[in-house]
Amino acid sequence: MQVRRLIAGTLVPLAVTAGLVGCNSGDSAKVDPTGVVSIQIAEPQHLLPSNTNDASGIQVLSALYAGLVSYDQSFKPVPDTAQSIESSADHRVWTIKLKDGYTFHNGEKVRADNYINAWNYAAYGPNAQNNGYFFSRIQGFGETQLGPDPDGADGPEKPAPPKAKTMSGLKKIDDLTFQVTLSEPFTEFETVIGYSAFYPLPDAAFTAPGVINEDFEAAPIGNGAFQMNGKWEHDAKVEVAKYDGYPGTKPKVGGVEFRIYLQPSAAYADVLSDNLDVIPQIPTESIVTAPDDLGDRFQRSSASQFQFLAFPTFETEFSKPEVRKAISMAIDRDEIVRSVFKGSQQSARSFVSPVVAGYRENTCGEACEFDPGKAKALYEQNDGPKKLNLAYNSDGPHKDWIDATCNQLNANLGVECVATPEPKIADLLTKVEEKQDVGIFRLGWTMDYPSMESYLGPLYTTKGSSNYYGFSNADFDRLVSEGAAAKTPEESIAKYQDAENILAQQLPVIPLRFAQNNYGFSTRVQNVVVDLFSRIDLSQIEVLG
Amino acid sequence: MSDLEMAATTELGVRPSGDPAAGPAATAKTRSLYADAWYDLRRNWIFWVASALVVLIVLMAVWPGLFSSADPTACNTRRQFAGPSGGAILGYDFQGCDVFSRTVHGARASVLVGVFAVLMTGVIGLVFGMLAGYFGGWLDAILSRVVDVVLGIPLLLAAIVLSKRLSADRQGSGIATVVIVLGILGWTTAARVMRGSVIAARSQDYVAAARMLGAGPLRIMWRHILPNALAPFIVVLTIALGTFIATEATLSFLNIGLRSPAISWGIDIATAGKHVRESATPLVAPSVFLTLTVLAFIMLGDAIRDAFDPKLR
Repeated sequence: MQVRRLIAGTLVPLAVTAGLVGCNSGDSAKVDPTGVVSIQIAEPQHLLPSNTNDASGIQVLSALYAGLVSYDQSFKPVPDTAQSIESSADHRVWTIKLKDGYTFHNGEKVRADNYINAWNYAAYGPNAQNNGYFFSRIQGFGETQLGPDPDGADGPEKPAPPKAKTMSGLKKIDDLTFQVTLSEPFTEFETVIGYSAFYPLPDAAFTAPGVINEDFEAAPIGNGAFQMNGKWEHDAKVEVAKYDGYPGTKPKVGGVEFRIYLQPSAAYADVLSDNLDVIPQIPTESIVTAPDDLGDRFQRSSASQFQFLAFPTFETEFSKPEVRKAISMAIDRDEIVRSVFKGSQQSARSFVSPVVAGYRENTCGEACEFDPGKAKALYEQNDGPKKLNLAYNSDGPHKDWIDATCNQLNANLGVECVATPEPKIADLLTKVEEKQDVGIFRLGWTMDYPSMESYLGPLYTTKGSSNYYGFSNADFDRLVSEGAAAKTPEESIAKYQDAENILAQQLPVIPLRFAQNNYGFSTRVQNVVVDLFSRIDLSQIEVLG
Repeated sequence: MSDLEMAATTELGVRPSGDPAAGPAATAKTRSLYADAWYDLRRNWIFWVASALVVLIVLMAVWPGLFSSADPTACNTRRQFAGPSGGAILGYDFQGCDVFSRTVHGARASVLVGVFAVLMTGVIGLVFGMLAGYFGGWLDAILSRVVDVVLGIPLLLAAIVLSKRLSADRQGSGIATVVIVLGILGWTTAARVMRGSVIAARSQDYVAAARMLGAGPLRIMWRHILPNALAPFIVVLTIALGTFIATEATLSFLNIGLRSPAISWGIDIATAGKHVRESATPLVAPSVFLTLTVLAFIMLGDAIRDAFDPKLR
């Protein structure tokens, strides 16, 4: 179910209001507080918090909803619609108190029940919500899941129905307070609940307890700064207007039109001609000309995405860490960043993004240093395969850098490297899951919440939801779960860093690059900020009159 | 389908006579039709220009090393869009590959696809046209409807479906896939032309004579009709060779034909197009070679048609 979150550049999570690279305000031009700003998105897959995990859908939801926490400059969670979030000493029981005064766009007061109902709906197995696994730490999650299918997914027999409809770990204290009991201690639970999967749903969303109104997704009702203006027009646009009943920070625009594009290049052309206000990610082939085209309306900010090459470690030819290390050392990361990405990304030499607390530079050590001579010697000593396949998905912008990487491996290792496209990321991952021989494959990962755990847990633990490389290391698993249960954030980070050191020795994947947001905007807007999750901060953007 | 139909417009009507003695009496000696055509061709400058180009391109396809000693797959982004130097007379592309070397090596895929696709369409077209034209009647009706049906299939649409299907089990699609796609979809014009000229030849006196002497249908078709019905067929195939090369480039450009690491003009044009604002040479070089190649084969076909068709004299 996490497959879609791996699509490079298209997926992202969480609300962050932290400004990263702001632009100058206070220009002489007049700001129009009723103006409508247009923003490029792709067609969202869903507009239901529990089912939305693509960047475009989350961008729209972040306008319609406000999270329990948002993040400050250093990516620490600060209560947003929550009054306070307190945990028991062992970080197992969390008490969440809501601020009074928040209402849904239909006038309903936001109550503890709205959270409990939404979370129970998201977790309930038969609903098959994309974000269901985010609730797996809550006590009683297991009882809401389907039993094992006795004859496989294709067989006629149905899996056993869940034992419970709701999670026992969610308890209402009063109208504005609820208590969450986790099955295991988790220090960073407060950080996680900023993710869009944890938004509340109004009573109007349900036709009966646990049943969502079919039409709800066409015009979601949220608790955020903007409300729907009309319905979601598929493949065309989603329009939202300022919600006056919102007690939080008021936006400086009258509304937002999320315009749906199939081709980023078409959106870029529209920004150039002032037909579109913001493009959150300028296509790679236009990066080189963007500074000329847009001047200071072309900007960059940090993003949390991490690009890497993964090895099927279950294949004998890649089972030796030395072979993987040699391949890593034969790749000149800085050269690819310079020539292919024109400096729009950063070389990566660590396994977590620089945006999370606990990031250390160059944890990968010698393995990520470009040294063709040593690489070749090491490769030959360890009988590295003569032919290499680099598999990638051709629906993302990967061909250029994969080709360049292959050319480097050809030249530096003396191998025959072939870049093999798969039409979609899902095709690639299916092949990997079936252990077909695809060779080395590329993946990208965007964090769900600002924590090292958001990288280490899903990607490398034995049971990690996106561990496609068959990597299994008992010490690593132990350190990650100890980190999650540690008493203080400092202790957590120390454990996570120890875990990261194991990755640097074992190299189930080799880090390549950290992404950045490369965005552009029209002459009509100012104060455009794109956050860590590659989302435009709608509380800051302004339209010039 | 428009490229293939363009070839159809060059379809010759029916050659007026199969009688070798009917050639113009330019000299006292009687010449066969083919000798006559050759006599004509030799005096046509277009023929020589087109032939020279064709020879050049075939040489490139067979011995690319004659033209460029650089390895087209030795690419290094450090040389990205670097200007001409040493052997790389056209400079380097986005990946830092030698543009001239890649363009020269790209000829092989084009020529191989063109030649094999023509062979395949030729065989299918010959059999269909000969059977339909010679036997006529219900067989002709059925075969001609099959031709109509195939002619009605949109080329690109069918090519996408077929190449996806054919390459499902393999890593990417190779030359064979493209040849099969073109062969399956491109034989109709040749079959129609063949059928037309077979019908014309069938009613000639020498055919009736052969039949009276007891020759079977196979012998009549092979010995008497084929040699006299072949000329327009050859013309159509020559022109088709050019259009097949263009179609191969189109398919590769759209990522449904050849794929890297194969070297093809279509692939290089597609890659270079994205970066045309940084450097135009990597786009222009393969485009010019592609255009010249297609032009060469079409001009050659035209010249041969002029030579064979006395009506144009």
